[in-house]
Amino acid sequence: MNPQPFLRPFTAPAVLCTVGLLAAMAAVLQFSFRAYVAGSLEPGAFTLANFADLLKPLYARVFLDTVWICFLTAISTLIVGYPLAYALVRTQNAILKSTLLVIVVTPLFLGEVVRTYSWIIVLGNNGFINSMLMNLGIVKQPVQFMFTTFGVVVALVHVTMPVMVIMLAAGLSHIDRDYQKAAESLGAGPVRTFLTITLPLSMPGVVAGVTTAFAWTFSAFASPQLIGGGKVNMISNLVYQLGFASFNFPFAASLCVAGLALTIVVLSMLRLAARPFDNIRAH
Amino acid sequence: MNILADTSAAAQTSGFAAGDDVAVRFDSVTKRFGEAVALREVSLSVRRGEFMTLLGPSGCGKTTLLNLAAGFFSPDGGDIRIGGERVNDVPTYKREIGMMFQNYALFPHMSLADNIAYGLKVRRVPKKERDRRVEEVLALVRLTGLEGRKPRQLSGGQQQRVALARALVINPTVLLLDEPFSALDKNLRASMQVELREIQRKLKVTTIFVTHDQGEALSLSDRLAVMSEGCIRQLGTPEEIYRRPCDRFVASFVGDANVLRGTLDGLDGAHAVVAVGVARVKVPASPLRGVAASAPVDLFVRPEQLQMVDADEPCATSGTVAAQVYQGGHVDLYIDCAESVRDRLLVRSAGHDAMTRWPIGAQVGISIGDDDAVAFATG
Amino acid sequence: MPRSTYQLGLGFVGKLAVLLILGFLVLPVAVVTIAAFNDRAILSFPPQAWSLRWFAKAIAYQDFRDGFRNGLIVTAWSSTIALLVGAMFAFALDRYRFRFSKLIEAILLSPLVIPHFTVGLGFLILAAQIGWTSGYAVVVFCHVVLVLPFVIRSVYVSLRNLDQSYELAAASLGAPPLRVLLTVTLPLLLPGLVSGWLFAAILSFNEFTASLFVTAQRTQTLPVAMYNYVREYADPSMAALSVMYIVGTAALIIFANAFLGLGKVLNIEHTR
Repeated sequence: MNPQPFLRPFTAPAVLCTVGLLAAMAAVLQFSFRAYVAGSLEPGAFTLANFADLLKPLYARVFLDTVWICFLTAISTLIVGYPLAYALVRTQNAILKSTLLVIVVTPLFLGEVVRTYSWIIVLGNNGFINSMLMNLGIVKQPVQFMFTTFGVVVALVHVTMPVMVIMLAAGLSHIDRDYQKAAESLGAGPVRTFLTITLPLSMPGVVAGVTTAFAWTFSAFASPQLIGGGKVNMISNLVYQLGFASFNFPFAASLCVAGLALTIVVLSMLRLAARPFDNIRAH
Repeated sequence: MNILADTSAAAQTSGFAAGDDVAVRFDSVTKRFGEAVALREVSLSVRRGEFMTLLGPSGCGKTTLLNLAAGFFSPDGGDIRIGGERVNDVPTYKREIGMMFQNYALFPHMSLADNIAYGLKVRRVPKKERDRRVEEVLALVRLTGLEGRKPRQLSGGQQQRVALARALVINPTVLLLDEPFSALDKNLRASMQVELREIQRKLKVTTIFVTHDQGEALSLSDRLAVMSEGCIRQLGTPEEIYRRPCDRFVASFVGDANVLRGTLDGLDGAHAVVAVGVARVKVPASPLRGVAASAPVDLFVRPEQLQMVDADEPCATSGTVAAQVYQGGHVDLYIDCAESVRDRLLVRSAGHDAMTRWPIGAQVGISIGDDDAVAFATG
Repeated sequence: MPRSTYQLGLGFVGKLAVLLILGFLVLPVAVVTIAAFNDRAILSFPPQAWSLRWFAKAIAYQDFRDGFRNGLIVTAWSSTIALLVGAMFAFALDRYRFRFSKLIEAILLSPLVIPHFTVGLGFLILAAQIGWTSGYAVVVFCHVVLVLPFVIRSVYVSLRNLDQSYELAAASLGAPPLRVLLTVTLPLLLPGLVSGWLFAAILSFNEFTASLFVTAQRTQTLPVAMYNYVREYADPSMAALSVMYIVGTAALIIFANAFLGLGKVLNIEHTR
C-alpha cells in the first residue's frame, strides 16, 4: 500500500513519549555522575565516585546475587513451564484449553504485591506449608523459607510462569503437526519425536521465553523486598533503599546505570547463544 | 545390495506368508467422527507392488482410509492388516509405512541428507550403510549433490522429491501418498507424476495414492477405487472404470459424460438395448437389471464416443452446433440437443477440420456405436 | 489413534506433571483465599473460625479506598492515552515510511527490558527537576511509557493480520483515506484495540515498582498502598483485599476470553 502522507501527524504523540522516556533516562545517567550531598536532595558536583563505589565487595555481591537469582528463576520457570505450554497447545478439548489458559494467565494480572503477599502466607513460619508439615508431624520446627533465596526464587518463578508459558506456547503452536506425523511415519517413537523434532523446533519460543523471564526477573522488586526481607537483596531493593532511606539518589542512579549495562550484556549473550536457532522457521 | 534389490527383497520377506499376494487389507472398516460416518464397512485389498489410487470428491473418506492405514486413527469397526499382520492397535511408529504429506513436512532444522537419513537413524542403521543408502536414493530422485541444503533452499519440485526419497529409503511395506501433487503447477505436476510412476515400478513398492483429480488417477494407477460418502463405488483398472462405470456417480465423476434420454427396449443376455430417437444402442445389461421395458433410462456417453454425422443420416439424435473450442490436438464442439438431460452435448473431435466441417449453427446428427455407452435407470 | 502401552504410560506421567504444576500455580491463590476468611488476626493454618470481618475492614480502610480511587484515575488516563498513542504509532509503523521509525520503535519498546525501578527513578528525578512533583501527571506519563510496548505490539499484530482488500474495496468505491480509516479499518480492528486497551489498563492498575518511586502520599496507587500496609501490619485484611483482587481479575480474564479469544490475542492459537 502506498505510504499515506496523512499519517505523518500520527507519529507526533509517539515522538513525544520517546522524548519523555529519553529525558527520564538522561536524568538517571546525569545523576549517576553527580556526588551525593548528605541531607539534601540536590546532587553535588561531577564525579566518578559512584561508579568506583560499585566495585566494593558489598555492592558487587548484590550484582552477582541478582544475576544468579535471575538465571535460576529463568531456568526453573522454563523447566516447570514447558510441560504446561505443551499441554496447552496439544489439548484438543476446547473447554480444557480455555480453562488452562485462564489459570495460567490470571496470575499475570494480579500484580506483584498480591502474589508476593500470597506467597508470604504460604511460606511463612505460620504459613500453609509449615502448618501442614507440622500438623502431619513431618517436622517439629517450622522450616525457614522466608528470608531465603529459595523462597524468593519460588515466588519469582510463580510470577514469571505466565509469561514463559505464553511465549513457549506461541512457539510450540507454530510447529506444523505434520512434522510429528512424518517422524512417526518414519518410525520415531514419542520420546524420540519430541527430542529430535518438537524440542529443536520450539527453540525460538524457548529463547524468547528465557530472555523475557530474565528481563522481568531483573526488574522484580516486591518479591525480594518482602520475602527477602533485607537478607536477600537484588539491585532493585538496593536502589530503593538508597533512594528512600538515605536519599542517596546519585548512587541509586549509578546502580541503575550499572544494572542496565548488565542487563544489556546478559541479553546480548543470550542473543548470541540463540544464533544457531535463528534459521528455524517451523512452517 | 542396491535399493532396487533391497525394496523387492523387503517386499518379499516382510511378514508375508508364502504365496500371500496382499500387502494391505481393509476388512469392513468403519470410522466415525462424532455423528458423521466417514467410512462405512469399507473392504479393500491392495496387492503387493500395486499402485492403488483412492479417488473421490472431498469428504468421500479417501483420506480417512489412508490415515487409518498410517495409524493416525483407529477404526471403529473392522480390521486393517499390513503385511498380513493386524495393525488396528499398532501405533504409527511401529508400522512399516512410508508417507508423503501434502505439504512435504520436511524437517526445517535438518539438511536434506539428515531428513532422508532420519528413518534410517531410528532403525539404527550403521553410519556407513546409512550414507550409502542416502546417496542411492538421492540418485534415484535425481538430487545428488544437494545433501547439505536445507529444505527452504529448495524449489517445490525438489522438496517433493526429498519427501519421496525420505519415505522410500526405509523400504516400507506400503507407500502412502496424500494428494502430494496438488500444490504443484500443471507442468511440474505432469512430470512428477511420470517420475513417481517410474520409481514405483522400478522398486515394486506397494503404493496407496489419494487424489480428487480423476485425470491423475486414470494415468497413474494399476487399479483405482472410486469413493463417495464413505463407500467404494467401484474398484477396477482405469480402463474398466472409464469405459464401464457401474453407476451414475462413477460415470459422472470420472471423465466427462454426456447424458441422453432414452427408453429401455429390452434385455438380451449380457446386453440391453436402449432406444434413443430412431436409433437402437447396445449397452451393458448389468446396471439395468430389474428395470421394466419401456422405462425411461439415462444414457451416458463419453465425448469421444459420440459420432457426428450429417443431419439427414439415420442417427440417435440431432442438434445444432452452439460453440466450438479449439484445443490444439482436438476440437470440443458443444451441441444444443433436445434429448440431452443436462445442458449441451460435448463432442470431442480429433484433428482441426472439425472447425470447418461443423460450423456454428450447423444442424448435425449424433450417432452412438454399440458398447460405446452405458445406461442407468432414470432418477 | 492407536497407542502402545508405553505411550499411554508417558501420557499418564505427563498429565500428572501438568496437574502438579497447575497445583503450584493455584496454591498461593487458594491459600490466600482461605486466610481471608480466617477469624483470627494471626495468619495461621488451618483457620479455627471463619468470618468476613477482614473484608469489611479492607473495604473501609481509607488508604485502600484512596489507593483504589487513585489507581482508577491513573489507569483510566494512562491506558486511554497509551491506546491513542500506541495505535497511531502502530498505524504509522505499518503503513508509512518515515525516518527513524526503527529507532523510535526500539526506544518505545525498550521498557520491556529496562527495569521498572530504573524507569521509576528516572521519572522521579526528571519530575523533581522540572517541578512536577505533585499531581498525577508524572505518574500517568510514567505508566503510559510502561504500557506502550504492549499496546503497540497488540495493535501492530492486528494490523498485520488485517486483510487490506477491504480497505482497497472501500477506496475503489470512492471513499477518501480518512473515511476508509474510520468506517472500515477501525471497526475491523476493534477486537485488537479493545484487547490492547484492556491489557494496558490491567498492567497499569497493577503496576507497582515504578509507581512506588513516582507516586506521592497523596497519589499512591492501590499496589503501593497494599505494600505499605503489609510492611506494618500482619492481619488478613490484605488477604481479603487480595481475594477481591483475584476474583475481579479472573472475571475480567474470563470475560476477555469469551468475547475476544485470549488465544488469538496472545498469538498462541493457530488454525491447524
